[in-house]
Amino acid sequence: MIELRDVRFEYTRGGFSLRVPELQISPGTRAAAIGPSGSGKTTLLNLISGIERPEAGRIDTAGVRVDSLSPVARRSFRITNIGFVFQDFLLLDYLDVLQNILYPYRLHHDLRLDADARNRAKRLAADLGIDRHLDRRPDELSQGERQRVAIARALVTAPKLVLADEPTGNLDPATKQHALDLLFEQCNALSMTLLMVTHDHGLLDRFDQVVDVSALEGSQP
Amino acid sequence: MKDSLYLAWRYLHHHRAKTLLLVLSLTVFLGLPLVMHAMSAVIQQSLLARAEGTPLLLGKKGSSLDLVVEALYFQPKGIEALTAADADEVDATGLALAIPMRTGLLAQQFPLVGTSLDYFAFRGLETADGRALAKLGECVIGADVAATLGLNPGDSILTSPSTLFDLAGVYPLRLHVVGTLQPSYGPDDRAVFVDVRTAWVAEGLGHGHQDLATASGDVLLKRKGGTATANAKLVQYNEITDENADSFHFHGDPASHPLSAVIVVPADDKAGVLLRGRFVNDSARQLLRPAQVVEGLNAQIFRFERVLQIIVWTVGLATALMFLLVMVLSWRLRADELRTMTRLGCSRWKAVQIMSAEVFLMVGTSVVLAAFFGFVIAHYGETWLQNLVLRGS
Repeated sequence: MIELRDVRFEYTRGGFSLRVPELQISPGTRAAAIGPSGSGKTTLLNLISGIERPEAGRIDTAGVRVDSLSPVARRSFRITNIGFVFQDFLLLDYLDVLQNILYPYRLHHDLRLDADARNRAKRLAADLGIDRHLDRRPDELSQGERQRVAIARALVTAPKLVLADEPTGNLDPATKQHALDLLFEQCNALSMTLLMVTHDHGLLDRFDQVVDVSALEGSQP
Repeated sequence: MKDSLYLAWRYLHHHRAKTLLLVLSLTVFLGLPLVMHAMSAVIQQSLLARAEGTPLLLGKKGSSLDLVVEALYFQPKGIEALTAADADEVDATGLALAIPMRTGLLAQQFPLVGTSLDYFAFRGLETADGRALAKLGECVIGADVAATLGLNPGDSILTSPSTLFDLAGVYPLRLHVVGTLQPSYGPDDRAVFVDVRTAWVAEGLGHGHQDLATASGDVLLKRKGGTATANAKLVQYNEITDENADSFHFHGDPASHPLSAVIVVPADDKAGVLLRGRFVNDSARQLLRPAQVVEGLNAQIFRFERVLQIIVWTVGLATALMFLLVMVLSWRLRADELRTMTRLGCSRWKAVQIMSAEVFLMVGTSVVLAAFFGFVIAHYGETWLQNLVLRGS
């Protein structure tokens, strides 16, 4: 599912580089990426998803060599194959919950917003327990509910891979466990691979694989 | 594009106050030149139409513009008066029809216009209800007067003398409404028309009172020969009725009674030229072509409009810059949203499309609103503009 080989990345403004000699994450795996702040966890997600392009090396994600794709092709690949969950959720206050979940469909012509998509969004909302709030605005919801909307938005396009960047960082312990349960449950149900950045070492025993980004060869702040 | 428009619409709808403010600013920016041009065109057109419909105008020497404005648009300008003899003089030439005009008085805030029956035929004014003037003390009112005051034939209206608080002065005269005119969408709609002699009575040049020959002793101060002097107890009539009409009379020579102007309708072009020749060297009077005066005024309006246009475009430029600034700041505040779009896989083109859709919706709405207001004013605002600009009400 994810395979990185001899990858070298350096920010153009300098000051940070990341080297990944080899990394493999199998399909359907629930993987966690850990490491101190500034170790390159988010950069790793950006490379895997094609947001950033490495100077050298090879990156295969969901069976596609993303490092060789053009910027346009990388965007198209990303929106059709990858679901994102952000730490700050990044929901849009001017859209209701249903439209927030369907948001990716509004952004790219490769995704078709039809009745199936709407039904899938509603089903996900029901599975995540937010179907009562479909016509409400994000700012009317609790943190936990907003996190569930963000998870639904990541899953609605039925991606092969879900990348989550500290999605439980802003949640209280009880809500955190529940959000993780829901995310795992949905990824299992839809046979998705999950790579999640986390600082919470107490959660690591729930993952199939743990990637310590700071231990990758050559990674230097 | 549909999705971009949808997202743009949802965003604008969510931020209604900001959107409304921007749309209104743009509407004013876009609509002001349109409205201004429409107003200018309407004013020039309506001024010219009435002036062109009045071949010649006789008045005292002085401001030709004031003469035209008072005699044609019934706006009191305090012009010096001619006499009835001047109208008779024109009539006597046999070259033209002389229509006397006595203006400057008011009846319940509407201009009181003393004239002759020829005026109605000359302007093509037709009676909507009732009949034409027939007797002293009667009036025919314009459509706006009838609608505003709710008057019909059979009702009455009081004149508003300018000497209301002068105890020795003129008292209000009650006029009988005998007819209402059909709308003509001009100054005639807001006028109260009376016979010129009724106008003279209204301004105190003629009056009616109790017969002194039969008056009781306590009314008379002295009687000597054929002359009787009455005291303030003498009953003065403030209404001309069939019973007291005979008592109304004018003091002094009727030929010396004042006229504000005389509309001169020449029999033909040659008669017009001859008449103008007769008055060209007149030191006290002027016979002018109103159209010529109004064309001069229109040229001034046009120059003024050009200056206004420069001001409007300057304000417009400032508005456009403000709009641009608000949009740029708005998108900077939405940096997180833009980053999310990019990370999810949205193309730059799509992001630009969404931003453009917001501008398009706001500018489009403003254009439609501005065009709508421009259209309404150009097609239906003539009367309103005339009221606003020509009559100052």
